[in-house]
Amino acid sequence: MANGFFTDTTLCIGCKACEVACKQWNQLPADGYEFTGDSYDNTSALGASTWRHVAFVEQNAPLGAPPTENKWLMMSDVCKHCTNAGCLEACPTGAIIRNEFDDVYIQPDVCNGCGYCVPSCPFGVVDLLAHADYTDSRHFVSDGRTHDDATQTTGGVAGKCTLCYDRQKIGLVPACAKACPTESIQFGDVDELKERAKKRVESLADRGVDSYLYGVDTATSVGDLNAFFLLTEVPEAYNLPSRPVLPSTHQPAGYASAAITAAALALVGFALFRTAAR
Amino acid sequence: MSAIRALDPDRSGNGVSGGAQLPPHAAPTYYDRPLLKKPHWEWEVIVYLFLGGVMGGTGILIGLSDEENGDAALSRNARYLSFVLAALCPLVLVKHLGRPERFLHMLRIFKFKSVMSMGVWGLIGFSLPASAAAAAQLARDGVLGGRLRFIGGLAPRALTNPVGVALGAFICGYTGVLLSATANPFWATGKRHIPAISVCSGLAGACAANNLLLAIFGGNETTRRKLDRLEAVAGLTELAVILSFRSHAGDVGKPMFAGRRFAKLRAFTLLGGIAVPTLLNLLPIHARAKTALASVLTLTGGYVLRETIVESGKESADDPRVSSRQPE
Repeated sequence: MANGFFTDTTLCIGCKACEVACKQWNQLPADGYEFTGDSYDNTSALGASTWRHVAFVEQNAPLGAPPTENKWLMMSDVCKHCTNAGCLEACPTGAIIRNEFDDVYIQPDVCNGCGYCVPSCPFGVVDLLAHADYTDSRHFVSDGRTHDDATQTTGGVAGKCTLCYDRQKIGLVPACAKACPTESIQFGDVDELKERAKKRVESLADRGVDSYLYGVDTATSVGDLNAFFLLTEVPEAYNLPSRPVLPSTHQPAGYASAAITAAALALVGFALFRTAAR
Repeated sequence: MSAIRALDPDRSGNGVSGGAQLPPHAAPTYYDRPLLKKPHWEWEVIVYLFLGGVMGGTGILIGLSDEENGDAALSRNARYLSFVLAALCPLVLVKHLGRPERFLHMLRIFKFKSVMSMGVWGLIGFSLPASAAAAAQLARDGVLGGRLRFIGGLAPRALTNPVGVALGAFICGYTGVLLSATANPFWATGKRHIPAISVCSGLAGACAANNLLLAIFGGNETTRRKLDRLEAVAGLTELAVILSFRSHAGDVGKPMFAGRRFAKLRAFTLLGGIAVPTLLNLLPIHARAKTALASVLTLTGGYVLRETIVESGKESADDPRVSSRQPE
């Protein structure tokens, strides 16, 4: 059984309750008070201590077009928990595992902060927790401890959505899905969620709304996503890759190229050192 | 009806990125924000990529050198050099982790799928014959005299040489595979080129480093000329692969092949680190000073090359236009 998220962007109202619930439950530091000017998005991106991110896409209709053609799209982004996860394959310590709920989980006490998972994620999700995040005394977790306490175990290691592994363990719904007031974020068995999502696409089509599922029945090397999305625009509009590629698929070509080059140079070297100029 | 339908491409072009009007079929971006995360690797990793290449190449040179026929000084220097580098490399890697004890976490598993795991074991594997061979060399050189003389017999060359060559070649190449087997558009585009460049650069750097040692501490002139020629072959191959990478990469290669970074690469690596030392090496002058100059130029070029490849990867990750359609 695989548990995951179905994020239906047509239901998202951009309230960011998911972001707040995630920060609170997982005791993650605040993102600061940067004002970006990018619509209502002051979170900007997923990060090591930002595991839900609500994107706001504003598309203005051309001049003269009816105002109903203006679009304001919202999407709560999250780790995709890929079937074939680049971060998990890259991890040299075995800190990143697939847990019993088929989700991709980073064991913070095993991670050594090498950072190889960061460029290995085709979705740009996982990142390293800066040591500074946790030593900055402005950041307080909910029970009043400072993150100075937390830095003993987690400073400098990789962080991303755990799909609330701890909550799932005791039968609770992940914090973001629990907090979502419109059921834009739905949690459950991935196969059931996919059935539900496909029906939703059809029902939207009946009402004249073009939509599709991102991360379902895909032919990409990352496979289906355990956290998939219903989108109404091209993936790039939400900062999702239109063609994610599993990094390890590059390994055979790379090793072969290195081996051929090394063998050729070694042969030349052998000829130079052992036969010539004796 | 399929749940996945193609969307009208005309709808994708209007105004999502704010700012300039996009051409009708161009994919939008999200406020031009990066789609991917860039690697956090700083100077420690660049230094490691460089030193690891020289170390691996030196392992190959130990196997190539004709110890009985005049190359004894090269073999001796190379054994000490590869031992020193095998000790330095883990220290640099430990430094980049921030917390030293975390290096041990690498040793809890062996993972074929993770190039970094393979590399760590390759590094440890290399350090064993390198240390044994260096100890044996110390015994042969009379530094370990008396009761310790037996150490010389513990590491037969017939064993340490071939193992050093194989693992040395692996260490030269794996760093390139490590970079290119990522989602980073620049590195992944170079999945065939960057590993080959790493091998060439590592071996050329090793020739240069060992030639420098011979120029300083003295050695057979014939050996130096052999190293000159091998360095020239490795360097010219490297140059050819870099130029091939440039035409293969196209727009994705811009972080490396345009602007100030390319000017630096051209000055220090392509010209100063390959073309000039190759000319010097092939000149029929055999002064030690010439060898030393060519070696320093090659080593500098090798470092700048690694720095350029790492920094170009960071810039590439910041560009959502090249991150969206990732190279197959």
